[in-house]
Amino acid sequence: MSPERGPPRVLAVVVPALPLQRVLRERPPAGALAVVSEGAVCHATAPALAAGVRPGDSLVQARAACAGLDVVPLDAAADRAALRALAEALLSLSPVAEVAFPDAVLLDAAGARLSGSEPEAFERALAERALGLCRHMGFQGRVAVADGKGVALALARHTGRERTRAAPGEGALALAPLPLGALDLPSEVARWLSAVGVESAGALAALPAETLAHRFGAPGAAAGRLSRGVDPRPLVPFAPETFPHERWDLESEVGVLESAEPVIFAAKRLADRVAARLAGRGLGASRLRLTLFLDPRGEERVDLPMARPGADAALWLAPLRERLAGLRLPAPVRALDLAVVEAAEVPAEQLAVGDRPEVTRSLDVALSRLAARLGERSLFAAESADRHRPEAAYRETPFRHGRADRSAGSGSGDGSPEPPPGRPTRLLEPPSPLVALGEGGRLTALRVDGTLRAVVSLSGPERLAGEWWNEPFDRDYYRVRLEGLGEAWIYRDGRDGRLWLHGLFD
Amino acid sequence: MGAATRQQEILEELRRQIRRMERRPARREGVLACGSSEVEALLPAGGFPRGSISSLCGGPASGKTFVALSVLREAQAGGGLAAFVDGRGELYPPAAFALGVDLARLLIVRPEPARGAVLPGLWAAEVLLGSGAFPAVAVDVPLRGVPAARAEPMLRRLLAAAEKGGAAALLLSGPGDPAIPAALRIDLDAVRFRPALRPVAAGACTEGGHVS
Repeated sequence: MSPERGPPRVLAVVVPALPLQRVLRERPPAGALAVVSEGAVCHATAPALAAGVRPGDSLVQARAACAGLDVVPLDAAADRAALRALAEALLSLSPVAEVAFPDAVLLDAAGARLSGSEPEAFERALAERALGLCRHMGFQGRVAVADGKGVALALARHTGRERTRAAPGEGALALAPLPLGALDLPSEVARWLSAVGVESAGALAALPAETLAHRFGAPGAAAGRLSRGVDPRPLVPFAPETFPHERWDLESEVGVLESAEPVIFAAKRLADRVAARLAGRGLGASRLRLTLFLDPRGEERVDLPMARPGADAALWLAPLRERLAGLRLPAPVRALDLAVVEAAEVPAEQLAVGDRPEVTRSLDVALSRLAARLGERSLFAAESADRHRPEAAYRETPFRHGRADRSAGSGSGDGSPEPPPGRPTRLLEPPSPLVALGEGGRLTALRVDGTLRAVVSLSGPERLAGEWWNEPFDRDYYRVRLEGLGEAWIYRDGRDGRLWLHGLFD
Repeated sequence: MGAATRQQEILEELRRQIRRMERRPARREGVLACGSSEVEALLPAGGFPRGSISSLCGGPASGKTFVALSVLREAQAGGGLAAFVDGRGELYPPAAFALGVDLARLLIVRPEPARGAVLPGLWAAEVLLGSGAFPAVAVDVPLRGVPAARAEPMLRRLLAAAEKGGAAALLLSGPGDPAIPAALRIDLDAVRFRPALRPVAAGACTEGGHVS
């Protein structure tokens, strides 16, 4: 028998006046400013409201009330994208999130709860974390936890408090003082209720359920249930389809940037948001791309390979700073866009006793800095290859911190082919030509880099040949001791008989 | 006081302990062995000091790379990582493998020749030494011909990074290279056809090496 399921606990995160907040997060503290759509004010800042500007005012009325009013047109697409980005970040708190346009994200609070934790303490903690993530993404939010999404949404939008919690079964009580408009009822239902003098959710809840059902059918019955704190509708899961990117247009807000430091500062803010969004999806960026849009035209792209996929903006900053500090831009920067180009799932890592996460972190920073400045190909781990040609007897592989095998070892037990013995510690690529001096068929001296060195001893040959299908080679290798130099690895090329210095036993 | 409160207290205490463990300094004290009793007997503290530079000075085939790789192998013995900054592009990994170096735990940094070897190599070494993630870092960059006035500040930065990260920096140098601010300098001699080591006072490497 399955346990009895209660109503779904939902956390609603609302961003009041989202279009205005989105504009303000990319500007220095603004004075009188209004967001305008179709010639009417939608939202206005506190200085504008104090000057007499009201939502719904025409542009003429608003300018008459406040002569210095800064006007920004509503960008619905950007607002929707910002809300989706917030939902993406909030996915780190709950397995299911729903985007409730135009200003809210709903989370499955029950799904997020750890078994054994106190429900009330957990919900309060969840609400705090949601508010924190909101701030991280540049928004001041309001949250409410209640039974069902309609109830939670109404409480978050209309109580005026930053945090609201309705205990299970107490949704109706919490909703009762709210105006009828808070329930977001179908317009026909709302009009009729208003006409008969029903002004609050509490008054609606007091009406007989059959009356509403009889008069308005299903929408009426749903409105009645909602007013009584009952909303069984499931959340519609939000699934982001593309890798996150964040853009900041500076031109209209703070002017163009002409030096590296403010660009780094701007990039850091974008990195914080991108990282939060990635973390929400359990992903880590393995390659980022910062695009700097130049004034008046042109762009500069900075690719940032990461040592390890991660969603920690602090780890990205060191390589970002390295790259930007060394960049010579032909023009000021008017906009930035930070995009995740490659990402991978980041599994939770189990730390063992003795592990030091701060060392792992500094390792990641160091490797990312090196990769960003020297190029990814400049740092690698080597792996033995089963090839006879000495210069091909190893291959370069990405350095993975040796995480696959945490035990110390000599490296001989990993299945890699054993290299033949007697190989030099240094291999010269390309080999240096040698001039040989002999006496009675015996090699007595070699001219190395213009210096004649006597041969003290010689051992060999070791014949290495093959790869007839590609670039055939045929070499006789000798280990030779040269006076004043030490041991060298030389070969005679079987094709033309010439001698070459190929390695040093340093 | 309920069970939940007690649980919270335990969790808080565990968090405190984890924070304390994470704040442990990265610096490692002591010395790093090289696995050869013959060599270690010659070293003042029986190994290569952590948190400072050791200079391995010698000609092209004097055995300095052999010694450096041996130290890196010992640094890996506890499950640690090691790095080789290969500014000359000559390190032959199969030989390191044969010496017992775990190639999966050996980071090789080989700056592209077009970028030059000295500056990128020393910068990479500074980053690796200062990270605290590598107990030992071998640095092989061609310092010959670099004016002392230019080399000295770079090498001092290297020393500061080694102190910060607690790593043993092994700087491979050749005859005629600028003086290195090393805590320990070992001249390797190729004349006897095997490394002949002796600690000497810091200074420029001498041509031909020392015979002990």
